[in-house]
Amino acid sequence: MVYTRKSPALTIIGLILLAHSYLVKNGQLEAVVKYLSLTRAVGEMTQLSLIFGGIALVVGLWHWFADHKEGDLDYYLGSVAGGIFILFVAMIVKWYFDPLVAQLSREIGPVIPGRRFIHDVFGLNYVVLGIVLGMVIVNVFKIPEWAQHGVRLSRLGLKTGVILLGTLYSFRELVHLGQLSVVMIGVFVLGSVWLVLLIGARRKIPNSMGGVLSAGVGVCGVSAAVAAAPVVQAKSEEIAYTIGTILVFGVICMFLFPVVGHLLGMGYVQFGAWAGTGILNSAQVAGAALAFQPNGIETLKVAEIFNITRVLFLPIIVLWLAVWYVKRETEAGATNLVQVDTGKVIIEKFPVFVLGFIAMFLLSSTGVFAPAQHYQGRYFDNTNVSGSRLLNDAELTTLRTESAKLQRDDQKAALGRLIDNKKVMSIADSDVLRGIVSARTLAGPANAAITKANGAVFHTAKMIAAFRDWLTWLFAFGLTGLGMQITIAAMRQAGGEPLVIGSAVGVAKAVLSLIVVVMLVRETI
Amino acid sequence: MPAGFAPARAVLLASHGTPGARAAEALAFELCAEGGRVHHLVVVPEFWKGMLGDDWLNNAVVHVRFGRYVENQLEREIAEHGQQVEAEAKRRGLGYACETRLGDPAECLAEVAAAGTHELVVIGSPRPKGAPGYRSRLAVEKLVARLRLPLIVAPHPGR
Repeated sequence: MVYTRKSPALTIIGLILLAHSYLVKNGQLEAVVKYLSLTRAVGEMTQLSLIFGGIALVVGLWHWFADHKEGDLDYYLGSVAGGIFILFVAMIVKWYFDPLVAQLSREIGPVIPGRRFIHDVFGLNYVVLGIVLGMVIVNVFKIPEWAQHGVRLSRLGLKTGVILLGTLYSFRELVHLGQLSVVMIGVFVLGSVWLVLLIGARRKIPNSMGGVLSAGVGVCGVSAAVAAAPVVQAKSEEIAYTIGTILVFGVICMFLFPVVGHLLGMGYVQFGAWAGTGILNSAQVAGAALAFQPNGIETLKVAEIFNITRVLFLPIIVLWLAVWYVKRETEAGATNLVQVDTGKVIIEKFPVFVLGFIAMFLLSSTGVFAPAQHYQGRYFDNTNVSGSRLLNDAELTTLRTESAKLQRDDQKAALGRLIDNKKVMSIADSDVLRGIVSARTLAGPANAAITKANGAVFHTAKMIAAFRDWLTWLFAFGLTGLGMQITIAAMRQAGGEPLVIGSAVGVAKAVLSLIVVVMLVRETI
Repeated sequence: MPAGFAPARAVLLASHGTPGARAAEALAFELCAEGGRVHHLVVVPEFWKGMLGDDWLNNAVVHVRFGRYVENQLEREIAEHGQQVEAEAKRRGLGYACETRLGDPAECLAEVAAAGTHELVVIGSPRPKGAPGYRSRLAVEKLVARLRLPLIVAPHPGR
């Protein structure tokens, strides 16, 4: 099969991106940039448009004019059109659509106390808008034929994003979140799988339907249903009902969870844990986390640990269901059952990208990308503080005068060392000094001096900072592309017993996990 | 045989095993002339293309295995259904051929009708609300606009 389509489309996208880069760089779009508050994104807009515009132009000309034959070159280069198509949509959303929605929302004014605007409450940011636009494209306009082969690259984008995310965890964080997620996922995954099977037995649904539905509702949505369907020999109608139900539930949750999270004033850890447990479909977990916190990745970090834990549970659950199915069918007198190959199930279903995530975490911990003690790319180093960033005489005088207000010995000592050395001397001192600023014990100028001193000794690792930028784009790319694979036709198949049982167990899981998270999960790690 | 109808020598039947489709099968046999033939078209709806949904966690091996499994499952279900229809055709002394296509039901049916030498097209009517089955209805208006043959819609047994 030849995958590449002879089409001028990719060349045209390349030319548009190159023109965009030129216009932004030369200030022709300045009015738009100002109106949408895009000044900080100008560099990114220029560079990314130039790089990907160039790639699109070169590969696009090959698509358009070369003769294509079956083979690796056709397979890999043929996918570039779909990848660039997703990226093009993600760029439009991130640079123009998202800021426009935010601007219009701000012009309308706050809708709930706490100065929250419509786009804040509903999490209408580039991720959610990207998924929605992707869904609109596939359902209203259809994915163009020339782009169809490459749309699957979105999965690669998301997996690469998760692998890079591994660089942003501290060991303590990973251990804490890992323990929390194993407990939460263990209880809720096993609980919901068991509950679906129990209700299914009561309502006398076929074992194959119970098997595929329990995997989908219990573990990680469509991914689990896809993995479990062959081993429980699900009928086509059962697969369609189950996947339709999960897709509908997932899309509703992606919009509903951030709203509830904001209304309840949940923190990043709480929301990440809730979304990671309560949302059935793994893609929507990432979507909801980024919708809840669009300008940071703390929530995404928590949610992805839960996602990874879920996917690690997947081979175990599939194996359990396979054994359960064979046992139940044998008891019912069925013959011709396919025996389960345990090793094959575990190897096939094992998520290899999780190894990449762990490898990046380990590499990051050894200091390859930044000094080993860094946290999210920020690290302490007071040996390289330039003269202008040391505290000046006026600031030192202010601090000496204000120091009398301090009561605690550790605070007095830390401030004393700061005054003596004109810079912060240790991470411990930095923590204590930040506490003084937060408590507002001292006057404004003194707090400003401490903040300046703290800022001077913390540096950002360029590599990790770059990873953070790439992450944003990889998730935007991946989720926009996944949006292009959610069809209304598939969602419309939601029905039958899977809709009844799946909705009941899904809602129960979401509500119970919310209660557990609010009551038991602390916001700090 | 409904009053005023002459039996057709070649009937194109679209059905996929639901109660409404079974009513269409019965009507097609009734409308087919002695010694005639029934061309049975089964359309696999396009929504199956989107059944991987937004799964991103599984690897390509799992996707391929799922795709093959669904294909085999659909083939098996269609074959079982086709055997039943064929047995009934044989019992009545009618010729029988079965064809499977993937796509939009109305478009597939119109294409097959245009390509063959059929005299009549028989389909089932949409099932009543709440009845089980795929949400993939045949767009009758779209079909009628392209069809150059008489079309008979069998009433649903649930109505």
